[in-house]
Amino acid sequence: MAKSDDGIHILQGLLVFGNVVIGMCGIALTAECIFFVSDPHGLYPLLEATENDDIYAAAWIGIFVGFALFALSILGIVGVIKSNRTLLLVYTILMLITYAFEMASCITAATHRDFLTPNLFLKQMLERYQKSETSNNNDKWMTDGVTKTWDKLMVQNQCCGVRGPSDWQEYTSAFRSTHSDADYPWPHKCCVMDAQGSPVNLDGCKLGVPGYYNSNGCYDAISGPMNTHAWGVAWFGFAILCWTVST
Amino acid sequence: MLPLLLLLLEMARGLEVLRYTPTLASPSLGGLKTTSTFVLEQPRCVFKEAQGNVVIWLVVAVPEAVADFNNSVGPGTPTRAFQGFPAGAPAYMTLNTTLLNYPCPKPAGEITVLRVGSETSCAGDERRPTCNGPLPGPGPYRVKFLALKDSVPVAETAWSEPIALRTAQPLSSIPTTGSSHSAGMIALTSILSILFAILLAGLVAVLVFWGSDACGGSSTFSKPEAVTVQRYNTHHVYDQPAARL
Repeated sequence: MAKSDDGIHILQGLLVFGNVVIGMCGIALTAECIFFVSDPHGLYPLLEATENDDIYAAAWIGIFVGFALFALSILGIVGVIKSNRTLLLVYTILMLITYAFEMASCITAATHRDFLTPNLFLKQMLERYQKSETSNNNDKWMTDGVTKTWDKLMVQNQCCGVRGPSDWQEYTSAFRSTHSDADYPWPHKCCVMDAQGSPVNLDGCKLGVPGYYNSNGCYDAISGPMNTHAWGVAWFGFAILCWTVST
Repeated sequence: MLPLLLLLLEMARGLEVLRYTPTLASPSLGGLKTTSTFVLEQPRCVFKEAQGNVVIWLVVAVPEAVADFNNSVGPGTPTRAFQGFPAGAPAYMTLNTTLLNYPCPKPAGEITVLRVGSETSCAGDERRPTCNGPLPGPGPYRVKFLALKDSVPVAETAWSEPIALRTAQPLSSIPTTGSSHSAGMIALTSILSILFAILLAGLVAVLVFWGSDACGGSSTFSKPEAVTVQRYNTHHVYDQPAARL
């Protein structure tokens, strides 16, 4: 019935190793989630305007879960070395709670990533970009956020609209109600800019001459970082959780 | 019958009918047709016979006005004013230029186009009846070029095919619902739930064994007891009566 001393030591060694890995992964998760929350691509205003920024909530939970995993791994190592049953029980219960939070974070990130489709961003862009009459402060804040983000996106990534400049032609928009179609078939930020930030050839841009306007869409520039963000939180958390259970 | 008679009448007056049909410019232009403008190819090397101070005008008309269009009605009159188009004036004339601006032959590599509808500043100005203003609706429209010499028509091209502009759909028609859950998300959710159940079961098992305290668990937790046994043996060797306690 009693295991040999060697077996015990091997088991302890494995448990300590498992906890060390969990601790390091906890730190890594915290670092990754801090990186996402810092929003290096400046896309947060677009999410805020969809009123569904849950993938950011998932990243915030990830930060705290990472710390908790690190602390718990230390507790686990101490408990295994001291062979204290109470400590190990406490460890298991706390690990279960942490697991539940991280599971919520992963599932939230994965589910809400599916919500972010091209049509969602298209509708938001058409509704809010350069909207002139805003009903309240919150509306104005979100409109300004969307307008600034799109201006920055279009100039930095040399793109226009979600699928292309034809987005501005195919649908009505808040932009179209204040800017005539003849002068602005698409926003002037879609034109190829010179070093001073003004269009190189405005007539060429309005005509749609290749080389004087950005003819590709910005959806890749938006979905790329958001996908990385959502999948990074979801799948890394998933990997940690699998390792935790096996330990 | 009537168009043929008119044609004969025009030819009798010295009006040259050219075979050229105005066409839209190259489809590689992104703004070839917008909701209020369109882009035509310039009529280069078309008016070959015209001499002197000839002015080439662009005529834009609704298709119903093509059949009985009168070339002699001058540009700038109320029936040819852009501001009255299309209700009061079923056709208008604009983009007047001399033949010098359409030199022949066309240089290769240059974009030679005419953007119809690009002037927004004069669109409502009644004093500018020849304004090249934005078109009021999606059309369709038909165009032709007319050469006037001292207000007398000397040459004209054929009428173009009907040109229909783009229509903008209301943005409320964009569907934003109906995004299905991806396979990855379903796999992640199900596997995590199963693992959570396993972990919970493990915790319950640990609690059960903790509560029952049977078998002493693994010998890892029984080390303190071994120390007590040694002390008992020491007492037993020296004090026999004390051992009974």
